[in-house]
Amino acid sequence: MISRRDMLKTGAAAAAALSAPRLAFAQEAPFAPKPGPWRDFAVTTRLDLTASGKAQAWIPLPSVREEEWIKTGKNDWKTNATLAEVVRDPKYGAELLHVAFKEGEVAPYVEVRSSFALRDRAEDLAAKGIVPALGDADRKLYLEATELMPTDGIVKETAEKAAAGKTSDIDKARAIYEWVVANTFRDAKTRGCGTGDVASMLRTGNLGGKCADLNALYVALVRSAGIPARDIYGLRVAPSKFGYKSLGAGSEVVTKAQHCRAEVWLDGYGWVATDPADVRKVVLEEPPGNNTVDNPKVVAARQVLFGAWEGNWLGYNVAHDVVLPGSKHKVGFLMYPQAEVAGALLDCLDPDTFKYSIKSAEITA
Amino acid sequence: MGLAPLLALALLCAAVPGAADPLKPDSLKPVSLKPWTSDQIPPLALDRLDGPPVDLATLRGQPVVVHFFATWCAPCIEEMASLDAFAASAGAPVVLAVNVGEVEARLRTFFRTRPVAFPILLDRDRATMKAWKVEGLPASFVLDRELRPALKTEEPLDWTSPAVTNALAALSPQAASPVQPMRDKGETPR
Repeated sequence: MISRRDMLKTGAAAAAALSAPRLAFAQEAPFAPKPGPWRDFAVTTRLDLTASGKAQAWIPLPSVREEEWIKTGKNDWKTNATLAEVVRDPKYGAELLHVAFKEGEVAPYVEVRSSFALRDRAEDLAAKGIVPALGDADRKLYLEATELMPTDGIVKETAEKAAAGKTSDIDKARAIYEWVVANTFRDAKTRGCGTGDVASMLRTGNLGGKCADLNALYVALVRSAGIPARDIYGLRVAPSKFGYKSLGAGSEVVTKAQHCRAEVWLDGYGWVATDPADVRKVVLEEPPGNNTVDNPKVVAARQVLFGAWEGNWLGYNVAHDVVLPGSKHKVGFLMYPQAEVAGALLDCLDPDTFKYSIKSAEITA
Repeated sequence: MGLAPLLALALLCAAVPGAADPLKPDSLKPVSLKPWTSDQIPPLALDRLDGPPVDLATLRGQPVVVHFFATWCAPCIEEMASLDAFAASAGAPVVLAVNVGEVEARLRTFFRTRPVAFPILLDRDRATMKAWKVEGLPASFVLDRELRPALKTEEPLDWTSPAVTNALAALSPQAASPVQPMRDKGETPR
């Protein structure tokens, strides 16, 4: 486990680096996502259940409608289920395919193919534009607490510390981003993408985790500062074209490539891309690994990932506390396929008990 | 790349509020239980992992530890071994470990390799956690023989430490006396 002392050491290393020459990264393509050509993709998710009782399953579908960076396409599926229907979560608009199998089905399966297009995002934060105001309903939705993201108590106190002295929303949001980057760490032992129990993280001081922890912490802190923010739960679908091995899919098999990002609403800019968790991923995983914060790739990621991200990642939805239709179960977020057999939810993080695969393909005409 | 970004980064690291706070323990800190006062104990009646439901109200006559945890919570995992040793020791209170919001299949996998001597209760919808006003994990509450509030902590403990032993001994002479604790050996997956 990385300790606070280690984090402080990396901070000291950044100061020491002031006198060190930095040449290597300058020779590579700069990490500079910017809106350009659209790229078409298809993701195929297949579940094979071993049923000993009535089975049903839920597969997230791309349902983020933000035409600046994602265009959703068709969803097609094949299955031996007796029910297969697209369901839309009424609160957040998250869409999923719900399938239910007849009792006694020997080999329940479903295969879903979703097509979509992506491109990079980059906001010119030096130039405020004319953007329609966020509607009252959305403002309320993206400021509210969720089951795992309280916005009062220790969360609010932490946000006030992190953004002390800042007056504008953009300065507060950036200060909180920097606080999360500086004070958290990616914990390789965290299963899946983490859970995102923000209050527990802050109360115990255990600020390690993965994207669902670190970006949820960012979103909760920003919301508690009165600025709308949201997590987007999704999947890496292609390698990074900027040479970041840690920030892209390693192959066409993306079964374990789930990743969530975050957005903050800034008047005059709209929804602005952020991803403090990926800065910590670069610190831990970008070869050779365990990089210090003055590593040029870390510095570049840290500068870019408040305001931009690369279009090699599919955003499924922004939903929290999703009740699975036809089930008594609820999930904190819908990023993995879910299934239950005989009323018991399977462990979406355990491939031994819940067999599924996800493949991604770029569609080039 | 020029020095300006690095300078800004270094200054930012130095200026981050709270950066020097002792927020994260490297391991279990030498903390202990604190007095807990409450007008009334919230109800606690939950399904049990691979066992019959448990109702706290039926345990009157024995001191009880109600411990809230999750398997994703690193401090909870660090604490689990000492809590298990504590629960297995002679005269220990009944320990009820309440898992918050996790899938049963995940719990079975977890406890298959980390068997414990106490029952795992399932707070599937987090309602019990909320009723007990638990704001972060882990959290533990100690109730006396009459199921009155006695001690609590919102930090991971070394349950075998003298500090904890002394706190429980000071609670009441009965608290440390031999009782017939609720055991789950052979029932909870080990």
